[in-house]
Amino acid sequence: MADIDVKLLPETLDPVQEHAAFLACFGHLGAVTAFTGVVRAAAKDVIVDYLYLDWYPGMTEASMHAIAETAAERFEIAALVIRHRCAKVKAGQPVVFVAAASSHRRAAFEAVDYMMDRLKSEAALWKREVGPDIDHWIEPTGKDAEDLQRWSKP
Amino acid sequence: MIDALFFGRVAEALGQRRTQIDVPAEGLSLLSLRARLFIGDDDSKVLMSVNQVIQSGDQALHDGDEVAFFSVFSGG
Repeated sequence: MADIDVKLLPETLDPVQEHAAFLACFGHLGAVTAFTGVVRAAAKDVIVDYLYLDWYPGMTEASMHAIAETAAERFEIAALVIRHRCAKVKAGQPVVFVAAASSHRRAAFEAVDYMMDRLKSEAALWKREVGPDIDHWIEPTGKDAEDLQRWSKP
Repeated sequence: MIDALFFGRVAEALGQRRTQIDVPAEGLSLLSLRARLFIGDDDSKVLMSVNQVIQSGDQALHDGDEVAFFSVFSGG
C-alpha cells in the first residue's frame, strides 16, 4: 500500500519545504521526482495578476486522492504527495506541487507526469484567470485532452 | 430539504453559490431540479453530482441530499 498524502491549501504552498520533507521521509527509496506549477505572469502575451481557484470541499480532495491512488497502483510507487492551492493565487506563486518516490527513477518520473495530466482535467477545481484586460474561467484545452489521452494507450 | 451548491462558471451565471429547496410531495428528480434552478438543459458543459458523486443521468432526490452543479474541471 502506497503512502499517499493529499492536501488542498487555501493560503500558502511552499514547494521547497514540501520537497525537503518528502525527501527526508522517502529519499531512502532511491528515486524522488517532483514538479511545481507556478502561476504565469502572462498568458498569450496578456498580463495575469492572479488565478482564483474555486473548490468543492470534500469532493476536490477526493478527486485528487483518486488520481494519486491510480498513479501509485499503475507505476508501483511507494509514496506520493499532492499539494494544490485553492482560492486566490498571485502570478509568480506556486499553485501545485506533486512528488513521487520509488526505487526506480522511470516510475517516479512517469507517476508525476501522469498525475499532472490528470489533475489538469479531473481535479474538482475551477480556475479563473484575472488581469487588467482579462477575467475568465479557464477550461481544459485540446492540448490538455491530448496529454490525458497519452495515458490511455497500452 | 435539499442543499444545492454551485461552483465555477455555474455559480457566476446564477449569482449564488448555495440554495436550499424543499422536496415537494410529488418528489423531485435531479433534472427537474436543474430545470427549476434555470440551469440550461442544452448546456452539456454543466456537470452534476449528488452527495459528491458525479451523475450523468436523472435520478430521484431525497431529503438531505447535497446536489451540486458545476462547469468542467480545470486544475493543475
